[in-house]
Amino acid sequence: MNRRTLLGAAALAALTGAMPVASWAQDAPEYTIALIPGLTTDAFYITMQRGAQAAADALGVELIFQGAADFNPVTQVPVLDAVIARAPDAILIAPTDKTQLVEPLRRANDAGIPVITVDTFIGEGVYQTGAGDADFPLSYIASDNVLGGRMAARALAEAIGEEGGQVYVSNVNPGISTTDQREEGFKAEMAENFPNIEVLETQFNENDANNAASQLQAVFARSPELKGVFGANLFSALGAANGVQQAGQTGNIKVVAFDAPTSIVDNIKTGLVDVAIAQHPAEIGYYGVVSAYAHLTGQSIPTAIGTGFTVIDAANVDDPEVAKFIYSD
Amino acid sequence: MTSDPSIDRARPATVAPPADHAAGRMSLLQRIAMLRAWLFLGALVLAFEAWARVAFDGTFLGNTYNLQSIAIYAVAPLLLATGQTFVIISGGIDLSMGFIMGLAAVVAAHVVGWANPLMSAPFAVLLGLLVAVLVAGIPGAVNGFLVAYLKVPPFIGTLGMFGVARGVAFLLAGGTTVPVSNGFLSALGNGRLYGVPWVVIVTAVFVLVMHYLLGQTRFGQHNYAIGANAQAARRAGIDIRGHLLRLYILSGLCAGLAGVLYTARFSAGAAQAGEPLLLDCVAAVVIGGASLFGGSGTILGTVAGAFVIAVIQYGLVFVNVKPFWQFISVGVVIIISVLIDQAQRSFTGGRQSE
Repeated sequence: MNRRTLLGAAALAALTGAMPVASWAQDAPEYTIALIPGLTTDAFYITMQRGAQAAADALGVELIFQGAADFNPVTQVPVLDAVIARAPDAILIAPTDKTQLVEPLRRANDAGIPVITVDTFIGEGVYQTGAGDADFPLSYIASDNVLGGRMAARALAEAIGEEGGQVYVSNVNPGISTTDQREEGFKAEMAENFPNIEVLETQFNENDANNAASQLQAVFARSPELKGVFGANLFSALGAANGVQQAGQTGNIKVVAFDAPTSIVDNIKTGLVDVAIAQHPAEIGYYGVVSAYAHLTGQSIPTAIGTGFTVIDAANVDDPEVAKFIYSD
Repeated sequence: MTSDPSIDRARPATVAPPADHAAGRMSLLQRIAMLRAWLFLGALVLAFEAWARVAFDGTFLGNTYNLQSIAIYAVAPLLLATGQTFVIISGGIDLSMGFIMGLAAVVAAHVVGWANPLMSAPFAVLLGLLVAVLVAGIPGAVNGFLVAYLKVPPFIGTLGMFGVARGVAFLLAGGTTVPVSNGFLSALGNGRLYGVPWVVIVTAVFVLVMHYLLGQTRFGQHNYAIGANAQAARRAGIDIRGHLLRLYILSGLCAGLAGVLYTARFSAGAAQAGEPLLLDCVAAVVIGGASLFGGSGTILGTVAGAFVIAVIQYGLVFVNVKPFWQFISVGVVIIISVLIDQAQRSFTGGRQSE
């Protein structure tokens, strides 16, 4: 008996210790909003959490941040189910698959929990239209990745200059909505506006910088006219930039990177990367929480919010107005 | 009790003596079997050479740039595969190597970054290298303790460490990549000596030492003996526990060196640096002729195995194969290579995996 009471007391102590929120119950936040990222081990989503937390603090809302370690519906859905079981007042989620997350998210919606998707989307990403079976989320808040790809194409074409040449896209894996859209936008812009630039076959590196570097060296060996590469995410760009360095072509083959982790600053300063297209993940997180709060307090919210991009290059990388868009916690 | 004759007795008759230290007693067929991975590599390179000449009048081999690029690609998978070779010969497997590599990459970036203002660049790098490799030894030691003393199957023990090392690495990195700026480190990662990249030189020296360790020392002999027949090795008086502990530490150190070289190359430590390499390193060991059941395998075979993978990855892009066909080709080559190995083993009558 003694042992059991002791255990119970220990458990109680552990519970109160682990949940500081519960101890100031009088002051408890009115709403709890859950943010489920595409993966927890990515500076982009960690920065998104920072923005979401800033909004949560300003509004007096409790923010739960829970996700899986990799970008995969198989690991994300159990996290989602666990979050639904905790019955938050709203869910912000970056769905890891356009179709596989529809039914799991419908369970949340059916349980009366409003859903807002951030960064990625389900169905077609067009919500509250009455069309299709994936229109139930209230809003889609994200960068326009097609536009981001177009901006990358313009930046790369400008860096290469008048004479043009060959370029290619270094991409992660096929089937990821955001990186697919960046590639689509990049290719469309090049085809429409830069006829003197030829876009070669895309190379997929499975998020392995070593592989991306080797691919760049091989493409260059095959196509000495290679003048530029677009790294569609962090490791694609990091690897491609290293490949350019190993090939002794720094400055000769231009590198445009998507996303702006802290390491990008050094890469731009040393000339490894010419241009980085930074998304505004903190802005996505901030407006996600604000939109959920607006909905919960009876306001109507837009069905789509597009957040912007910042183009970072050697000329502006030290500007504090630009530096704030570097991803960090 | 641990003298060499007793170990020879420990090895069952069906298991042929491993590679080099018994070269004199090998039949011609066995020699060919040993060289199989190298022959396969040669055939692969010739195939790409022919393809390049026929398809676009280029050359694959007669181009030092291609050779440099392939060697640089092979560095990380080869370092992991070297440690993995020891573990697989002992009859185990180390699934945690990829994230131990990531952990070491992050630690190296932090330590060099911290030491930069305190000392000259080469010393900061040396300190980062030492600390990162030592830190990589810790999860290795825990793996060894789990496997040797608590009798946890290697597959499970190292799978657990896979998660622990991953979590610790991401915690230390704050979930992002850790940039580090040090001229000496970056020269180590990207500089060359007479056209040979430094990372390749460092890896070659390390792999040669490991080749000596496996082929010429008591540690290596014990490793074969334990993998071939642990029961017999124990009766022969080999300290199996102590050996396994040291073995998994060694495997951690290999991953640690791979992590430091990653940081040197990319001027940033990333926790996920080695994540995609785990399967590549196991494939390299198997293509190199080691048996997943333990008791056989060589470092030189593994070197060929790592280069087979590097040549395929690089060559397919070089000859411009469509991306999705690249996935298929890599898989097919791995399967063919192992099938040839199986056929040759039953043909030469030795080194059966059962």
